[in-house]
Amino acid sequence: MSRAKIMLYAALAFCTVLMLTPLVWLIAATIKGPDDLFHYLFFSPPSRFSLYNFQQLFSQIPYVRFMINSFFVAGASVLVQLIFSSLGGFALAKYEFKGKRPIMVLMLTTMMIPAQVMLAPMYELIYMMGLVDSYLGLIIPGAVSVFGMFLFRQSMLDLPDDLLQAGRIDGCTELRLYWDIVLPVQRPMIGAFSLIAFMGSWNNFLWPQIVLHSQERFTLPIGLNQMVGLYAQDYGAMMAGTFLAVMPVVLLFFLLQKEFISGLTAGAVKG
Amino acid sequence: MADRSFADWLPFGKAPTLILVITLLAGVYLAVNPVKKSQATMRLWTFASNHSVPYQKAVPSFEANNPGTKLDVQLVHGDAVNSRLRAAFWADLDVPDLVEVEISRAGSFFRGPPDDVGFIDLVPILKKTGYYDRIVKTRYAPYTSRGKIYGLPHDVHPVVLAYRRDLFEELGIDVDAIKTWEDFVRIGREVTIPGERYLMELSDNNASSFEMFLFQRDGGYFDAEGQLIMDNELALETLLFFIPLVAGPERIGSDLGSGRVFTQAVEQGYFMSYICPDWRSKVTETDIPRMAGKMALMPLPAVEEGGRRTSTWGGTMLGITRACPNPELAWKVAEHLYFNKAELAERFRATNILPPLKDAWEHPAFDEARPYWSGQKLGRIYANLADDVPPQYASPLIETAKTKMAGVISASAVYYRENGDDGFEAFARERLSAAAEEVRRYIRRNPY
Amino acid sequence: MSSSAFRLQHRYAPYVFVAPFVVLFLVFTLYPLIKSIQLSFYITNGPKSQIFVGLDNFRFLWSDPAFHKAVWNTCFYAVCSVFLQLPLSLGLALLLNSRMVKGRDFFRFSFFSPHLVGQVFVAVLFSVIFIPKFGLLNRVLHTLFGTAIDTKWLGNPELVMPALVLTSLWMYVGFNMIYFLAALQSVDKELYEAAEVDGAGPIKQFLHVTLPSIRSVAVFVTVLSTIGSFQLFELPYVMLNNTAGPDNAGLTVVMYLFQNGFVSGDLGYASAIGWTLTMGVLVISLIQMRLTGTWKKED
Repeated sequence: MSRAKIMLYAALAFCTVLMLTPLVWLIAATIKGPDDLFHYLFFSPPSRFSLYNFQQLFSQIPYVRFMINSFFVAGASVLVQLIFSSLGGFALAKYEFKGKRPIMVLMLTTMMIPAQVMLAPMYELIYMMGLVDSYLGLIIPGAVSVFGMFLFRQSMLDLPDDLLQAGRIDGCTELRLYWDIVLPVQRPMIGAFSLIAFMGSWNNFLWPQIVLHSQERFTLPIGLNQMVGLYAQDYGAMMAGTFLAVMPVVLLFFLLQKEFISGLTAGAVKG
Repeated sequence: MADRSFADWLPFGKAPTLILVITLLAGVYLAVNPVKKSQATMRLWTFASNHSVPYQKAVPSFEANNPGTKLDVQLVHGDAVNSRLRAAFWADLDVPDLVEVEISRAGSFFRGPPDDVGFIDLVPILKKTGYYDRIVKTRYAPYTSRGKIYGLPHDVHPVVLAYRRDLFEELGIDVDAIKTWEDFVRIGREVTIPGERYLMELSDNNASSFEMFLFQRDGGYFDAEGQLIMDNELALETLLFFIPLVAGPERIGSDLGSGRVFTQAVEQGYFMSYICPDWRSKVTETDIPRMAGKMALMPLPAVEEGGRRTSTWGGTMLGITRACPNPELAWKVAEHLYFNKAELAERFRATNILPPLKDAWEHPAFDEARPYWSGQKLGRIYANLADDVPPQYASPLIETAKTKMAGVISASAVYYRENGDDGFEAFARERLSAAAEEVRRYIRRNPY
Repeated sequence: MSSSAFRLQHRYAPYVFVAPFVVLFLVFTLYPLIKSIQLSFYITNGPKSQIFVGLDNFRFLWSDPAFHKAVWNTCFYAVCSVFLQLPLSLGLALLLNSRMVKGRDFFRFSFFSPHLVGQVFVAVLFSVIFIPKFGLLNRVLHTLFGTAIDTKWLGNPELVMPALVLTSLWMYVGFNMIYFLAALQSVDKELYEAAEVDGAGPIKQFLHVTLPSIRSVAVFVTVLSTIGSFQLFELPYVMLNNTAGPDNAGLTVVMYLFQNGFVSGDLGYASAIGWTLTMGVLVISLIQMRLTGTWKKED
């Protein structure tokens, strides 16, 4: 191995250690017994492994309920966003129609405006619609993802128009075109977007914090944040809670690594 | 089209299908376990589990004494009580009948014209039933606004110092000889080794430690008339006294965090003593079991010989909301939970919290020797100090004031670390007035 | 399907497809935007009561020392994000892009995994890591460098911002690296060959071939990073235990908005803050894009 290669790997290894150390600590923390959390730097001797932190976690807060809430809201959000964004992206990619330009400008402006400026009136709006403290209040406002529309537009642009024309000549309705011809080819982008959207909803904190009041509806970030506030903090349980909360996203990422990366960079690199 | 593989049947691909399945499963679960609308006649919200657990235990006896009623005690997490209560008051959604509110938050609910306050005035019923004089009077102050008392005090929360008796003995410290803070600080300077051992747990980044000193000296954030006094001479003096205790080379205190971290700190002798209101003594017993028999309590050193040897930290009130359709029944709930002497004794054993009802302290439970605390009679120690507990006065801006004060403490600590006594008084004075001025701006701005 | 129905659905299909976006945009973006302008002229106490105060909210905002602190903190954080984080991401991408690297997928996953965790959970994790005396960071630093073991991070007003910057470095370096890596991998190899033929060493190649080629991605990432930094809220809020930290050391503009709007309940004031933030972000983004000469986004 040449010297340059060794240095390269050393640098990479160093960075990897920096990146992964907190995560390793997290994993170690979840299985340490009640007194060991700060006693051992990373892992305690295997004989002292214990599920105490998980037991504490589940007994202190309704964690399972929070997780199910998160799955429901994130899942529903992704599915809704998927349908609306891909339809919208399709329209923008493959059709010419009046209002196309203004819509694209509108989309751009939405992306630039920080969401927080709209928090207050959106809360009032939700309150007037009677959606305060409800799941719909979380799902509906975010039902169309502008970012998603851009992504899908970008990736659908490459679809050959002849294919669509052929379909039309065969008597396919536009919807059928979308379903049978366009979508199957978009699977990688769909995979990427699903992960991005899922992550966004799963980790979302600010809006659910404002909208949700009943503990039974809390999602994981809010539920876990509650533990941070209690006056006698149980760090071990918090770590167990964090670990479990991160797992679904990590697993999803594993499934979709390649698509995710290509989807993420599609807008940036091609532009 | 006959040879489509299974995957082709899923138009969106495997990830979305997986997500769909999970969502459906979750949705089914949620549909089957909806958020229950309470069917109770009386609903009480509280924010602390060491309150909710004993209350829930008391529910059956209440329902037995008042047939036909159903009492629902709900534990709502700390911050959420305030936001939910506020949302409820605004929107008339889901207002409970009785609510426990923490002392620093209570004032914010007294904002606006008296008719707008979401709680009812308890003075009439307290006087009528005679409880008014049986309760430690200074404890009404934090829940009083413009002559009306909006909350029943849950506690007195006198403060003492909890200390590692074994370590004190090892180091030859004579607890009985400590009469004033001067004595205490002198000892602190001798035994403190920064990074290894501090005589006392004291915070330099929030106001809770500082407040203890301030209240002990009869200072506070607001006075009885609701005027802001956080920047008066007394506060400044206390600040000048306090900061060198937590910053600089002669400090005697530091802080780390709570829970497991604090446990380790006490076990290792990192903190030899700490501020201990009655509730914290129970937290100690639960969280630091290994120190059983090695701990003891001592009254706070006085500011001057013969002066007050306690202070106060924390508090809870129980309010009856204006929206409650049956205030008489709500009062019965309050009475049952707060004034039932037999229950109070049991509760004291379970939580160490001294009730504000003075005649309840005659119960033998308050004279029991506690092995954890080296055989001391914990109840009597706190009860003897109860009448001395200084008052705290309410204001809608008390939380703002506390936050600003915490800022003053942090900034002063930083200054002192870097500059010592050089120019410190001027800095502290200026910072304190600036903080008070910020609070006054809020007062001026707020039409409510 | 009849031929006229067929034509109809062909014609109106695009409108139907974008309808959800348009409807939701009107209801949940346009309406709140306009309403928030209106709200910013009121002091409110919940959705039911309002008092008109004209420009008073803005006057108060402008002279509030807490707001100044928030702006200062947020700008400090944004500057660190752009000038610390991005070069590090680029550096990492360069390392990973080298032809000599095997197991690129593994490294990419490890560098990216911090970002998967999400701000709230990162905040919870790091609030424990930063604990003085017993936490991971202090113990490691003490063992390796002999620093004081009871250094306070989140309890020391001077170290709160550095702690936040460190945490977000950890979280976002890998994320931005992905963009840079993709850009690097699409640079035309022939440009490098031509440069080598011209006698340019690796540094010259980097400056004259690499940098210009990844320019549009770099700009994209920078603008994104800046906008994101100005919206910083969850990380400090959760790490500092739902407070702004000692002496407001962790107060950001969005946190200030949240405290005033949703804890104290003055939605009018919150709108005023929101608008001020938006104006600030728009101005800065425009300046950035002007400076780098990329005003138009693709067609």
